[in-house]
Amino acid sequence: MLSRVANSLYWLSRYLERAENLARLVEVNRYESLDSIDPDPWRPLLYTTCTEKIFRESKEQDVGMFISFSEDNPDSIRECVAHARENARMVRDQISEEIWRDLNRFHLFIRSENAVELWQNQPETFHRRTIEFCMLLSGLIHATVLHDEGWHFMQIGKLIERADKTTRVLDMLAYYQGIAPRAKLASALKSCSAFNAFQAEYRSGISLDNAMNFLLFSASFPRSVRFCIQQLDYHLHTVSGSPIGSYTNEAERITGSTLAQLNFSSSLNILQVGYHDYIDSLQKQFNEIGQQVFDTYILLPLEIRSNTNSETRRRQNDHQRQQQQ
Amino acid sequence: MCFLRCVFNHYVKGEFFDEMFSHTSRKTFPHYECLLEHYANYNVASLSNKQRLIENTFLEEGITFTVYGDNQGTERIFPFDLIPRIIPRKEWQLIEEGLTQRLIALNLFLHDIYHEGQIIKDQVIPESVVKTASHYRPEMQGVKVSRDIYIQICGTDLIRDDKGNYLCLEDNARCPSGVSYLLENREAMKRAFPNLYSQYKVKPVDNYPDLLLKTLQHLSPRQGHGPVCVLLTPGAYNSAYFEHTFLARKMGIEIVEGRDLIVLDAYVYMRTTKGLEQVDVIYRRLDDNFLDPLCFRDDSMLGVAGLMEAYTKGNVALANAVGTGVADDKVIYAYVPEIIKYYLDQDPILQNVPTYLAWREKDRSYILSHLDSLVVKSANESGGYGMLMGPCATKKELQDFAKKIESEPRNFIAQPVISLSRHPTICEDLSIEGRHVDLRPFVLYGDSIEIISGGLTRVALNKGSLIVNSSQGGGSKDTWVLND
Repeated sequence: MLSRVANSLYWLSRYLERAENLARLVEVNRYESLDSIDPDPWRPLLYTTCTEKIFRESKEQDVGMFISFSEDNPDSIRECVAHARENARMVRDQISEEIWRDLNRFHLFIRSENAVELWQNQPETFHRRTIEFCMLLSGLIHATVLHDEGWHFMQIGKLIERADKTTRVLDMLAYYQGIAPRAKLASALKSCSAFNAFQAEYRSGISLDNAMNFLLFSASFPRSVRFCIQQLDYHLHTVSGSPIGSYTNEAERITGSTLAQLNFSSSLNILQVGYHDYIDSLQKQFNEIGQQVFDTYILLPLEIRSNTNSETRRRQNDHQRQQQQ
Repeated sequence: MCFLRCVFNHYVKGEFFDEMFSHTSRKTFPHYECLLEHYANYNVASLSNKQRLIENTFLEEGITFTVYGDNQGTERIFPFDLIPRIIPRKEWQLIEEGLTQRLIALNLFLHDIYHEGQIIKDQVIPESVVKTASHYRPEMQGVKVSRDIYIQICGTDLIRDDKGNYLCLEDNARCPSGVSYLLENREAMKRAFPNLYSQYKVKPVDNYPDLLLKTLQHLSPRQGHGPVCVLLTPGAYNSAYFEHTFLARKMGIEIVEGRDLIVLDAYVYMRTTKGLEQVDVIYRRLDDNFLDPLCFRDDSMLGVAGLMEAYTKGNVALANAVGTGVADDKVIYAYVPEIIKYYLDQDPILQNVPTYLAWREKDRSYILSHLDSLVVKSANESGGYGMLMGPCATKKELQDFAKKIESEPRNFIAQPVISLSRHPTICEDLSIEGRHVDLRPFVLYGDSIEIISGGLTRVALNKGSLIVNSSQGGGSKDTWVLND
């Protein structure tokens, strides 16, 4: 498989996962803010998505609008879908027609005025539609393409993103500095679609300790960090062909070590390290894994790595100079 | 009588050759009768609805081209008209014979000018004309190209004059585009009018990707190994990017950008997650200029350094060959009848449009004194750019062009205005009116010459316009070639 194709497939599914998580996060936050007496109920959302700075600098006044549609926000839902679609366009020959058509259709929808109107009048419907669309795509990726190398790269992109987003939700609890009220715990679980699964496992009490344990260490909940990393480990080894438990590249080594750490940690360890620092070190490890996957499989020579805006513009100019027959 | 109540009731044929209605009477040509009867089932609004549905599908499926000069990378669909153009078998046979003859002759010509130059020695074409063609590539002198074929894919533009004669307007021997729209238009028509389509015995077009792949594989220089063919695209910002992915997908070959390829010891490889893989044949949708920064434009970000060395050493094949643009020079075009005569000793089956060459003194003074009744074109532009429509030009434009012609006579040719044939077309205001059309058939030169039965009929959608290019208000129609 072409390295560039692997890269596009990775980002295609990573951006879809990002859009889905954002939509869920915004919806939970919005619903909760209806009951909130906090004068600035959207603040945690900006914190979780790491967009406080860009928001301050942007013209956009409305946080909801900023997270869903703003062009100033490179990770708004609309931009995520556009990035996913752009990557899909570059590998159209590698994905099924169903994936392309549904992704393109949703891209056209979310760019339209209709989408903004729907968001203004029925925000829940808008968010649900976005989540359902991402689920549909995820299903199509499972059911309509070969489960070969390219598919594994799609899974790798998705899992890194998912693990990262779960840690960000956990970090939002750190924002309340250990005194998160029950409602916040519930909404954190809901942000990861984990509320029902959590209740099934912890019949009784919802506490910070339990919620944290569940979202970090559950061996069977598909959005827990441990679950994601375990899956990631499997996909990385399938791509390289090396047996699980060993490693042939840095991505595999860091993943394996992170997994071991998750397998044998408890909430006690976390308290020793400090809640925020623990989450922070996990996020750094995810970044490093993503970088190492890139270095191992995708990395192209210098001139491509420096793919700056000016180069993109130059390429566009080259295109325009080409005569069209 | 159907005619009175059908959607063509108010159709005005005008002073042009009409594809559907006979010149001499208000009757339809026999091959359009069945269509006319079928369309009596619809009114203009229902037809137009059908059309909108199709265009919406095109948009959703991303069957689009990218508009240049727009930093947003806006994508548009190529507007599509529901009334198909129908070509009877006999007419098509003539087209096929004419195109085959032309392609064989052009190919011999290219081989000749890049080797012995016999046609120049025999004074059929002046050397200066050949060597000053802006797409002439001195690097190709004496280079043996795979199978001695230069133009593997040709997209000749045909038009019809006021008598209905097919004339050849240009040959497009570099990277002709549009075949994906041809194939998608056919899919759309089969879905929209299944009954009408099966009533006519239309020759299928869906074998094109297979034929193209065979044409490419035929070029492979590597013996005893399944040929590895790739399609080289300038990338997602190119206006024809949809077509590139479409063709690669249909052929089942890899679509690559310049940065995916690397040349080592004069062999070409693509970078994969498992290391390097050798490439044998490149269907390049990139102009010569951009292929190799070491050889041509050194600022090209789209090409592959060292590609020309691998190519001239015969380690990789390119389709089309480098340097075929000479045949697209409009001055060379004027010589094609002589080229056919010279190499094949035959009379051309498809005629050229009469062409005046500004570098010939006699022609130039004729051009300058008849500027307001001629079409002037620069010798090396395409896509409908760099031309002057004498009859619609302002005084200032005429003067400006006259100056340009006098200062660079080699770069200009002039032709009488050919009133392209018209075809009934559904217009914005839901009326059906005649619009000018041309025809671009696609010709493949591999083991043998194959012509896809049909072509891209392009329509100038603006009233009275003769410019059919997608970038300038053109649309397209499905083209049905009949089996009997």
